Amino acid sequence: MSIDQEKAWNPKIIVFACNWCTYAAADLAGSNHLHYPADVRIIRTPCSGRMDPLLVLRAFNRGADGVLLSG
Amino acid sequence: MKKRVGVFVCDCGTNIASVVDTEKVAEYARQLPGVVYSTTYKYMCSDPGQELVRNAIQEQGLEQVVIASCSPRMHEKTFRKAVEAGGINPYMFEMVNIREQDSWVHPDRGEATDKAMDLVRMGVSKVLKNVPLQVSTIPITKKAMVIGGGIAGMQAALDIAEAGHKVILVEREASIGGKMTQLDKTFPTMDCAA
Amino acid sequence: MVAVAQHPNIELVTYAEVVKVSGYIGNFNVTVKQKAKYVDWDLCTGCGTCWEKCPSKKIKDEFELGMGLRTSIHKVFPQAVPGKPIIEAETCTKLTKGKCGICEKVCPTNAIRYDDKEQLMDVEVGAIVMATGYDLFHWEETYGEYGYGKYPDVITSLHFERLVSSGGPTGGQIRRPSDGKVPDSVAFIKCVGSRDDTKGKSYCSRACCMYTAKHAYQVKDKLPDSESYVFYMDVRTAGKNYEEFYQRSLDAGAKYIRGRVSKIYPRGDKLVLKTEDTLMGMPLEVEVDMVVLATAMVPSEGAQELAKIIGFSTDKDGFFQEAHPKLQPVETFTAGVYVAGTCQGPKDIPDTVAQASAAAVKVCGLFSKERMATEPMITEVDISKCSGCGLCVPICPYHALSLVEIKERGHQGPFTRQVVEVNGSLCQGCGACLPACRTVALNLKGFTNEQLVAEVDALCL
Repeated sequence: MSIDQEKAWNPKIIVFACNWCTYAAADLAGSNHLHYPADVRIIRTPCSGRMDPLLVLRAFNRGADGVLLSG
Repeated sequence: MKKRVGVFVCDCGTNIASVVDTEKVAEYARQLPGVVYSTTYKYMCSDPGQELVRNAIQEQGLEQVVIASCSPRMHEKTFRKAVEAGGINPYMFEMVNIREQDSWVHPDRGEATDKAMDLVRMGVSKVLKNVPLQVSTIPITKKAMVIGGGIAGMQAALDIAEAGHKVILVEREASIGGKMTQLDKTFPTMDCAA
Repeated sequence: MVAVAQHPNIELVTYAEVVKVSGYIGNFNVTVKQKAKYVDWDLCTGCGTCWEKCPSKKIKDEFELGMGLRTSIHKVFPQAVPGKPIIEAETCTKLTKGKCGICEKVCPTNAIRYDDKEQLMDVEVGAIVMATGYDLFHWEETYGEYGYGKYPDVITSLHFERLVSSGGPTGGQIRRPSDGKVPDSVAFIKCVGSRDDTKGKSYCSRACCMYTAKHAYQVKDKLPDSESYVFYMDVRTAGKNYEEFYQRSLDAGAKYIRGRVSKIYPRGDKLVLKTEDTLMGMPLEVEVDMVVLATAMVPSEGAQELAKIIGFSTDKDGFFQEAHPKLQPVETFTAGVYVAGTCQGPKDIPDTVAQASAAAVKVCGLFSKERMATEPMITEVDISKCSGCGLCVPICPYHALSLVEIKERGHQGPFTRQVVEVNGSLCQGCGACLPACRTVALNLKGFTNEQLVAEVDALCL
């Protein structure tokens, strides 16, 4: 892989966000118009306690480059 | 459950549409499996916006609804009601956040539109797995407890009691009154505290 | 106060604390601890013979902030509601040493109970209003430059309230605590603990500007020949008629000096304040007879523990957290629990009353319905898969899961087995129980495994 190609690579990052804190914080980042890379895709969960490790593995299995679990 | 999804993409004035190509998102949505109808509208939460959703449900025979607009923390309840008014179970609905978590945080039109399409695809996939949910009810004990017998506690207790409900006022000290009883006259009227 | 005690719909439980709360909106179960009063209030008429005859007379009166004395058997203050006394166990010689018993002998209704014990009672309520109030910032612990509380004539504004009150220890005459002298000059220092990131709190306590204006006015009103100085950072008069009231204080002759006091020290029987006038740009030294500190409002002692017991959050300063500062100012994150007054944040009396009425309206709104709808996005159990292992039960933070016996029919006839059951009213739909289930018998409606997997798959195309 050349350096140029590497630059063009966009990671696929899946975020599992607790509705009450992280998801709300992501909304707050939005209300304040704070920019961040567009590679992030947020899945809303009712609580980080809901997170089954299998879901994280599923994401990797399906080709996610990174998983962020936050709550 | 029949798969007849309707996707509604909100412009939110220019809040979403200035960054996300909502027409393109709606067009993309129409090609997703299960989707039979998609459209955009300037303000989906407004009365005409909600009417649009209600009419589409009836005219297109929709069974599932996805609305791509602001955060579900903002308008999920609003849209659940609209969906219910359209004649389907309010839980056959998913909301996709393309404002707080897309148009407001990603200035690049191409990237933001791509993300919006990804999120709509996510919403459609989820809503196809939704099942109707029923709301149950619980009884309410019509008696209130007020903890603290100072100005705030006494006022709240009196107001609730005056409205005809029972109140139990719990105070840590042997007398109610709180700090107020220690005060002399109070500003700006200089009437006595007790 | 009397209106509260006499209202047929209000049950007053004083000298009591909330020790346990369970349940949920519409259906709370609260355990209240009634502390031992040692007096049967049903029999007591509040005649006062007991506290007149009580020989333990030299106890510092908390109500007068130590500036007056009281007896062991006492009412909190003369106009107390209910107007009945309690015995303070630590200072009663009958309860500590077994000697005395005078109050029992003189009581005309035989209401004294030396064997009284604290009692627990359970109450079912549908809503809870938190109105636990505030305490004053302990300035003695941090403000060394003001003497760590060792100068008797450096007092707080609440002390000053007692000194100007006609019911107070001086009968309403402004006299300084050390020698009872009527002061020729009084200095007021604002923002002691408020707006002070290094030693106190970062917030403004909101009421101090106005009550200090009142105090400065009262000094000039009661002692026209005296001086009253107010040392301030800003004068904040954001309220109806507040600016006018401040002007009235200035017109009466209160001297406002913009500057922080950097040190207080005694000189003879006077106190010297080292400060500066930042408007004139010069250092100042002012000699006064008495100093009054407008100390910050802080959450009431025990408020944090109470928040934990009931299960809602406090903010960075320990005040109760409202659900939304603008849209849900009297609600908390726990449905059915509301906040009123200074427990939510510093505020003055008009704002406190307004907020209390707002909280009352929320309660009445809740009570206007016979039943309320519950969120359907909760855990469900597939009992055909549940092995009854019970691993999920202790994980639930809301105690919504329990094991129950069910009857089933097998090849060898009927038998019973354990399965888990969800209490739909207690379940908040967090889903923390799901990962604990080894047989995948639990699922969360609205956020099912199938739904989340579908989302993951859709994003990872």
